[in-house]
Amino acid sequence: MTVQSVRTHADAIRVTEVEHVFASRATEVPALDRIDLTIEPGELVTLAGPSGCGKTTLLRLVAGFMAPSSGRIAVGEREVRGPGAERGVVFQQPTLYPWLDVRGNVVLGPRLRGVAKGERRARADTYLAMVGLTDVAERRPYELSGGMQQRVQIARVLANDPDIVLMDEPFGALDALTRERLQGELLTLWRATGKTVLFITHSVDEAVLLGSRVLVMSPRPGRIVLDETAPFARASADVDPAELRASPEFAAMTRRVREAIA
Amino acid sequence: MKRDRFEPPGENRAEAAAGRRTVPIMLRRPHRLGWLPPLATAAAVLLTWSLVAASGWVQPAYLAPSPLEVWDAFVRANTYHPIGGGIDRVVRGEENYFLWEHLVVSLRRIGIGLALAVVVGVPLGLVMGTVPSVRRVAGPYLDVLRSIPPLAYMGFLVAWFGIYDTSKIWLLFLAAFPPIALATINGVRGVREDQVNAVLSLGASRRQAVTSVVLPATLPDILSGLRVAVGFAWTTVVAAELVNGLPGIGGLAYLSGTQNKIALSVACILVIGLTAIALDAVIRLIERTLVPWRGKA
Repeated sequence: MTVQSVRTHADAIRVTEVEHVFASRATEVPALDRIDLTIEPGELVTLAGPSGCGKTTLLRLVAGFMAPSSGRIAVGEREVRGPGAERGVVFQQPTLYPWLDVRGNVVLGPRLRGVAKGERRARADTYLAMVGLTDVAERRPYELSGGMQQRVQIARVLANDPDIVLMDEPFGALDALTRERLQGELLTLWRATGKTVLFITHSVDEAVLLGSRVLVMSPRPGRIVLDETAPFARASADVDPAELRASPEFAAMTRRVREAIA
Repeated sequence: MKRDRFEPPGENRAEAAAGRRTVPIMLRRPHRLGWLPPLATAAAVLLTWSLVAASGWVQPAYLAPSPLEVWDAFVRANTYHPIGGGIDRVVRGEENYFLWEHLVVSLRRIGIGLALAVVVGVPLGLVMGTVPSVRRVAGPYLDVLRSIPPLAYMGFLVAWFGIYDTSKIWLLFLAAFPPIALATINGVRGVREDQVNAVLSLGASRRQAVTSVVLPATLPDILSGLRVAVGFAWTTVVAAELVNGLPGIGGLAYLSGTQNKIALSVACILVIGLTAIALDAVIRLIERTLVPWRGKA
């Protein structure tokens, strides 16, 4: 019996000639300048760039929170016209709901989509266990630390079983130790589920370590100036990230990414 | 026993543990005297009042009843008592109702008025908050409605609905509905955009986003609006009972004054004030129960 962890039916994300301009009454601020990008199913694409370069804008366009000024974004054959359950979003700030306990937050997606009570609860408990939060399932989000809240948010997105996970600097506000642990957890989850991930970060190290493919965006208006496959995310789970970081390949790639940003 | 030595005074700790105070811990002053200052103040007020009543400065004397006379009037109004003046007849409370019954009638009026205001105001606020075009069309009317002192409607409402309870309940509805609707709109507009985006990304329909995120996120503001509305409605009901307000605590306060039963009138005034405080405490209790996350998330 073989375990089929990587799904074959998932769709690619296609971003075609997308430009985006933020228009206020007096001024127009160009945010994205002709982005062409295809993300294949099962890729973990990290997107790095200086703050304000438009990487969050790109993520929010793919999420469907707004429409691009011009160009086309599609998942498979379907054009993105709004948010949808097949594109889960992990926000920079954990957007948990304080009127629900932790489990209530995690079952929310399945509940809204009419999954039977027993099944959605089982699913929630699976993902809570996966992020190591079984013992706080009955607590309210505001009783948890920032790192725990972020893990709840990740569990909530995964319990909804999206094909695509969009992550907007999810570990940006965390301390170094928590961040490293969650990076490890993310890689484990990605290897286990084979989901397509777009991961935004301003940390070069994080982009290189986590990405199966690394993109770099130039300062505003954003344009993709580096697009490379990276081997480190696909390394075996047994390899210590510290070991990967110490390798000459890691150093070389980090340097290339850094130069592309500057 | 010794273990407690380094811990702060028990009272503050209990409060902090209960998490009840809305004032952040850092902003609180430690109070060492406990209940002593408020009790002393109350005693001083009663004493001054008794002295003024006993001194005979105010003439005629019935205009300045002592605290004891007010208490007597309060008790008489809640019991069967002889009518006095040499007539051998026992009457029930005042105007054939006990004082607490007058109070209950007034509370029932504001209860119905407020319930209607919530039923209409919250959905309207949700729609106005989420749909800009509705807000643009209906907003000015709500502003006009809010700026009209409720009692201005009284004559109009009596003409339409008669002098009995219907007109009073309409009046209370009109008094309570604008603050509730406005607070709801405010709350909806204060909901973080990404809280809504997050639920839409989980596959919620627009309607589900409103019921499962916007409404609960707005609950703290709705309850604040309700608190304002209760205060407003209470003020209004007491005033509205000047017209055919019996039974009713405001009606009794007015009537007893016009009949020179000053002690009874003062008793009614005190009951009205204490009831207002009790109502506010009830709403705050509801807030703490329904919105335990307030100030934390």
